[in-house]
Amino acid sequence: MTVGDISRRTALKWGAVGLSLPFVGSLAACTGSKTKTSTGAVEKVSLKGQSLALTILGVAGWPPSQMSVDFGNKAFKAHAKSALGYDVGFKSSDAPFGQLFQKAATSLATKSQQFNLIISDSQWLGAFARAKWIIPLNKIIAANKNLQVEWYSNVVINGYMRYPDGSSNIYGLPQEGDVLVLYVRKDMLENPKEQAAFKSKYHKDLPQTFEDFDKITWADYHTIMEFFTRPAEGLYGISLQYSKEYDYFTCYYYPFLFSRGHQIWDSQKKNVQGILNTDQNAAALEEFVALKKYCPPGADHVGIAELADLFTHGKVFSCIQWAAMGPSMIPSTLKGKVMVVPPPAFKEGRTYTLGGQPWVVNAFNDKNNMQAVVDFLTWWYLPETQLAYAKAGGNPCDKVTLESTGFDDLQPWFRAYKYMLQDGKTLDFWHDPNYAKMLSDQQEAFTAFSTGQVKDARKALDYIAYKQQQTLYDAGETKTAPSGTLPSLS
Amino acid sequence: MHPLAELEISVSSREAVRVVGASVPSGAEAIGAPRKNYLQKHGYAWGLVVPMLIFFIVFNAIPLLWMIGLSFYRYVLTAGAAPVSVGLENYHQLLTDQAMWGSFSRTLIFVLLTVLGASLLGGLLGYLFWGSAKMPGRRLALTLLFTPMLLTPVAVGAFYRLMLDPNFGVISYLFGLVTGGREDLLSKPATAFPTVLLIDIWMWTPFMTLITLAALASVPTAELEAAKVDRLRWVTVLRRVILPHAKFILMLGVLLRTIDAFKTTDLVLLLTSGGPGTSTEFLGLRLYRLGFDSLDMGMASTVAVIALFVAIGFTTLYLYVLNLKKQEDA
Repeated sequence: MTVGDISRRTALKWGAVGLSLPFVGSLAACTGSKTKTSTGAVEKVSLKGQSLALTILGVAGWPPSQMSVDFGNKAFKAHAKSALGYDVGFKSSDAPFGQLFQKAATSLATKSQQFNLIISDSQWLGAFARAKWIIPLNKIIAANKNLQVEWYSNVVINGYMRYPDGSSNIYGLPQEGDVLVLYVRKDMLENPKEQAAFKSKYHKDLPQTFEDFDKITWADYHTIMEFFTRPAEGLYGISLQYSKEYDYFTCYYYPFLFSRGHQIWDSQKKNVQGILNTDQNAAALEEFVALKKYCPPGADHVGIAELADLFTHGKVFSCIQWAAMGPSMIPSTLKGKVMVVPPPAFKEGRTYTLGGQPWVVNAFNDKNNMQAVVDFLTWWYLPETQLAYAKAGGNPCDKVTLESTGFDDLQPWFRAYKYMLQDGKTLDFWHDPNYAKMLSDQQEAFTAFSTGQVKDARKALDYIAYKQQQTLYDAGETKTAPSGTLPSLS
Repeated sequence: MHPLAELEISVSSREAVRVVGASVPSGAEAIGAPRKNYLQKHGYAWGLVVPMLIFFIVFNAIPLLWMIGLSFYRYVLTAGAAPVSVGLENYHQLLTDQAMWGSFSRTLIFVLLTVLGASLLGGLLGYLFWGSAKMPGRRLALTLLFTPMLLTPVAVGAFYRLMLDPNFGVISYLFGLVTGGREDLLSKPATAFPTVLLIDIWMWTPFMTLITLAALASVPTAELEAAKVDRLRWVTVLRRVILPHAKFILMLGVLLRTIDAFKTTDLVLLLTSGGPGTSTEFLGLRLYRLGFDSLDMGMASTVAVIALFVAIGFTTLYLYVLNLKKQEDA
C-alpha cells in the first residue's frame, strides 16, 4: 500500500524517526539540563503604582491556611496600599494534605509561578529545596530586620526552617505552628456521677486540671479510656488516627518511639535497616495498635477530619488531635465543655510528633511577585499581625507573641500548644527529599499490620526498613544497600 | 458501464478501472490533461489527515514514547536529580516485587469477578426488561436502573464510604440491626475486597443491562415468532435463536467492561485507598501511588508500560471478536 508516492513502510520509518526525535532530544535535555532559579538574593524592587495578584497554595479545609489568604486580602492589602503604594490581591488554591505536595510539585517541576507562596508541610522542605523549586531565605532574612524573629523554641527552627538538618540554611518560615494535644470532655470529667463511679471502680480521682493531665502517663490513661468506653451507649474512651492516608498513622505511632528515645533512622548516614526494625519498635507498634480497643469502630479509617467528627458528635470522651484543629474541634455547641491538655506521657518521657507548616517561596517568581511575597512575609511577622493571627485562631511561633501576657487564655488550646512546642516535647521527622516515597511505603505496611493483613509487627517493620533502605540507596543518600530479602506483606 | 465498475468508481476511479480490467490511459492522459503536482493531487486527503496526526503525535505518541523511555530511568521528581539510565533495572525490580504481583493478581481476580457478576445480573435484568415492553413505569424503572452507571466513580466511592461508616453510616446501621453489631466492612481484609467488588458490580450492572437490551433488539422478530409458533422451550429459544444473534454485542460489552475494570482506580481510592494494608490495591491504584504519592516517575512509567501491554492484550482479543463477526457475516 502507498500513501501518495511514499510507501507505507517508508512513511512508518520516517514517522518513527520523527516521533522519536523530540522524545530523545527532550529526555537528553532533561538529563543534562540545569535549572536557572533564584539564589535567594532579592533585589529591592519598587512596586509603587503597580497592581499584583498573588496566589497562596494551602491545605484544603485547614483553618490556618484559609486565614492567611483572608489576612492578605484584608489587612495586608490595606498595608500595601498605604505604606508601600501598590495594590495586591490574594487568591487561594488548595488541596487536601495527601494531594497538596503533588499539586505543588507538579507545578514547580514545570518552573511555573502559578503558586507564589506555598504553605508546605515541614517534611517537604528537603524535596522542594533539593529540586531548587524554593529559594533559600538567609539573604532575605539578613536584609529584613522584621524577619529576624526570635522563635519560641528550637523545635520551630529545626522543624519548619532548616534544611539540611543541622545546617544554617533557612528554606522556610513558620506559617502555622502545630503540635499534638489531648482534647477531653471537661463536662464529663466534672460530672459528679462520673467522678463517683470512677472513684468506686479505680479508687482514684478523675483528673480535673491541666496540671493533673501533665502528670498522667499512658498507664494511668488506660483506666480513664477504659472507664469511658461504653459501646452500648455509643461512647468510647479515645480516638486516634490509624488511617492509611498521607502521614496519619505515622504521626500517631512515632510518639511511642520518640518518647522512649527509640530511633526511626540514622539521619546522618541515612540508614534505616537495623534501626527502625527492632523488637522494641515492634513492641511499640503493637502497643499503639492495641489502643484501638478504646476507639470507636472504623478506627482504621480515622484521619484528621474523622477525628473531629467523632469528637464533636460526642462519640468519644477524648482524642489526640492537632492543635491547629482547635476551631473545628470546639464548635459553639461544645464551648466550655472541652479542655485541651498535653497528651499522656510515657514512663520514659513525653515527645510527640510535630505538625504545622512553613511558608516556602517559589523560586520561579518574577521580580515583582518576589518583592510582594517578601513584603507580605515581612508584614506577617510583625508582632501585631501575629497577635491578630492568634486571636483569629492561628498558632504563632514567635517568642514575643507566645510569651505575651494573656496569650494562654486567647484560645482554649493555646496553653497546651505552648507547652508542647517546648524543646524535647515535640520532634519532627525526615526532611529528606525521598520523604514521599518513604512515607507511602511505611503507611502501607503500618496499616497492613494494624488491620491484621500482617500478623507480625516486626515483619511490617522489616518490610518498611528494607523498602526505605532501598529508596535511600537508589537515591544515592546511603552507600549501604538493603540486606536480606524484601518480606511479603500478604 | 459495468455495474461493478459503477460501484467501485465511488471509491477510487483508478482502483475501479483496475478491478474491471480496463486499461489505464497513461500516455494519452499525460498529454491531454495538465500535470497536477503532488499537493494538488493529495492536498485534500492530507488536509484531512494531518490535524488528526498532529493530535495523535502530540497527545498520544510523544507521551507514550516518553513514558516508555522513562521506564528505563530512575527518576524521582523530588530527588532534585536528573533522570539516571538504569536499563532494565526498574522492570527487574518490579517483576521480582511480591507486592506488584499481589497487586496484579488481585486486579485479575477483581476483573474476573466484577465482569462475571455484572454480566450475569445485567443480562438477567436486560432479559426481564426485554420481555416487559408493556410494563407500566418501564421507562422510569429503566432510568432509575441506569443511574449508578451515570455517576462518577469518585462520587460513588465517597457516598458508599459515608454509608458504610461504622459510626454514622446508614448501611452499617442497617447491618447492625440484623447482626446486632456495627461492622466496619472496609477496614477488614476479609470483607474489604468483597465490599469493593459488590459496589463495582452495583455500579456497572446497568451497563450490561443496556448492552443486553441492545443485543436482544438485534434478534429478528420473525425468528422469535417462529419459535413461539413451534412452542420451543425458553432455554431452546435462548440457545438457538437469541444467543446466535446477540452474542457479538454481548461479547463486546463484556470486553469493554473487562478493559474498564482493569483500570479501576478512582472508586477504590475513595473507598479504601487500597487498604486495609494492600488488600484492595489494584494495579491502577499502585500506579497512581507510585506516580503521585511517591512521585517516582521511573517506576510508575514501568508499571504503566506493563499495564499498557495487558491492555493491548485485551484490545487484541476485542479486535479478534470483531473479526469473528466480520468473518461470520461474510
